[in-house]
Amino acid sequence: MARMPREKWYDIARDVDWDLSYVDYEAVFPEWLSGHGKIPREAWAKWDEPYKVTYPEYVATQREKETGAYSVKAVLQKSRVFDQLDEGWKSVAKMHFGGVALIEDLAVYAELRMARFGLAGAWRNMAVYGTLDETRHTQISLFFPHELIGKDPQYDWAHKAYQTNDWAIIAARAVFDGMMLNPNVVDVAIQLPFTFETGFTNVQFVALSADALESGDINFANMISSIQTDEARHSQQGGPTLEILVEHDPKRAQWIIDKTFWASARLFSVLTGPGMDYYTPLDMRKQSYKEFMQEWIAGQFLDQIRDYGLKKPWYWDEFMAGLDTWHHSLHLGVWYWRPTVWWKPQAGVSPEERDWLREKYPEWEKHWGGIWDVTIDNVNAKRMEQTLPETLPWLCNFCNLPIGTAASPYNDKYPVRSYPLQHNGYTYHFCSHPCRQIWWEDRDTLHNPTVIERLLGGQIQPPTVEGILGWMGLTPEIMGDDAYGYSWAKRYANRNGANGSAAEPAAAEPTATESA
Amino acid sequence: MTETQEASAAPAPDPEPEGQPVPINALFENDFVTQLILVLDTDTIDEAAQKVAYHVVGRRLPPRDAGLVMRVGGQVIPGHLTVAEAGIAPLGNVLVGWAG
Repeated sequence: MARMPREKWYDIARDVDWDLSYVDYEAVFPEWLSGHGKIPREAWAKWDEPYKVTYPEYVATQREKETGAYSVKAVLQKSRVFDQLDEGWKSVAKMHFGGVALIEDLAVYAELRMARFGLAGAWRNMAVYGTLDETRHTQISLFFPHELIGKDPQYDWAHKAYQTNDWAIIAARAVFDGMMLNPNVVDVAIQLPFTFETGFTNVQFVALSADALESGDINFANMISSIQTDEARHSQQGGPTLEILVEHDPKRAQWIIDKTFWASARLFSVLTGPGMDYYTPLDMRKQSYKEFMQEWIAGQFLDQIRDYGLKKPWYWDEFMAGLDTWHHSLHLGVWYWRPTVWWKPQAGVSPEERDWLREKYPEWEKHWGGIWDVTIDNVNAKRMEQTLPETLPWLCNFCNLPIGTAASPYNDKYPVRSYPLQHNGYTYHFCSHPCRQIWWEDRDTLHNPTVIERLLGGQIQPPTVEGILGWMGLTPEIMGDDAYGYSWAKRYANRNGANGSAAEPAAAEPTATESA
Repeated sequence: MTETQEASAAPAPDPEPEGQPVPINALFENDFVTQLILVLDTDTIDEAAQKVAYHVVGRRLPPRDAGLVMRVGGQVIPGHLTVAEAGIAPLGNVLVGWAG
């Protein structure tokens, strides 16, 4: 039988909708899930995705992608490529797997919610493909690292991380629950496909794939590229939704984008920044994190939202200034609190790497060089206990990242300080004005205590460093340690002023967590 | 077990606590993060400042031959006052730095 040409049936099939007569519209698309707000029902008839696909086309394309990705993997499985990978690069991959694999699974539910409660047939249709995409991404992101567990147990955290109370995962859960599970689907479409996927992950995956290839991790590059092509398609649910929202409620559109961009940028500065500027081997770096963010995230995103008639977020100058500082402070924090992560952070401060950092970030030495020098002297003098934490950094009540990491030590404009807020007799602490403002506006929907609050509330027992690590799910074979066993510090053994003088701490007995 | 043994095995009463713990959000000048530090409300400000310094000086910042000062809300707090007398509340912010 001859097939009907695609253009004859496609528009009807992709946009099936009808007037409800047996039930109320509100019962099928309740406000709290669908998020009509000020948008009239008939406005949704205009929803039109720019990239169209039929189910047979979808299946054929996905099959090809799967075959390609798994074939390459099967071939490489027999090779010794993995054994030759740089330890710093492996940390990029481990961090990615643990931080992303089950967020892909969370995205399945976000897509399913849009597939059920989306307000246009075409949107719901698109979200079904998105659901299938995210299911595939979860599977591939769990399957690829699984074979590496025998070589390195930290890869087990691809599956485990999201089930734990590790601080990085608590920070990620706070952002992604707020982006995917908590809001109505109009807000989900603006937060997830538009702001996060179009604004951040699409471009990040392209950059990550390029870095993986440069580092020789063909398998990882192959997997990431395979995922990215799906993201590029289903992220287009954001644009048509935003177009309708801007027409009827531009204030709401602006707010959703502003808060999501800020939360995403804070998280990106710990998930992507250290990988690009410290973990990726020096001769394989293409761009600094700042250059990447300026070119691909900031520039493109601003162009996009201006195209929709929106303004740049109110905190834009602070965000741009943060590209010089946030991820350096977060990297230092991750390295210092390294037992709390499931990868091996590479310090990335050998003399050559510091030259590179100074070239890319002229003020790097002023802010962080001195702290690294004290650390280096402690390593070389074998005072390792001085390089390890005995308490926790205070964490922001919105982004859950350490207070001070939206700033830098000698920064007059954005100094290291807390931005407290008294509310209902309780003091909340924030890393920045924007975190405080977003929390205040959304406070009725945010109920995610920080690790500090859980510790002080007695949830972590015993309240010691060991107790905290156990509570986070970290076992001795998983806890992070320096990627190169501190060998890089030996280059500074004869450093001018290398101090024996840093030997004695000027202080009293341990006080923070031991007796908390 | 004899009565005597029972008596000696009984737990000794807890000693009177010297003070109530006060968790503070503390920054040491020129460090890169603020930290959770547990002080006692009976600690003097000088003692509390030492407890903050313990987690920073020699670890991330070099030691100096100088005393310490604590500031709250920009005001220097006299070192002889106790944490309670200085009105430092749980979850409060303090800044510790070098004197002079």
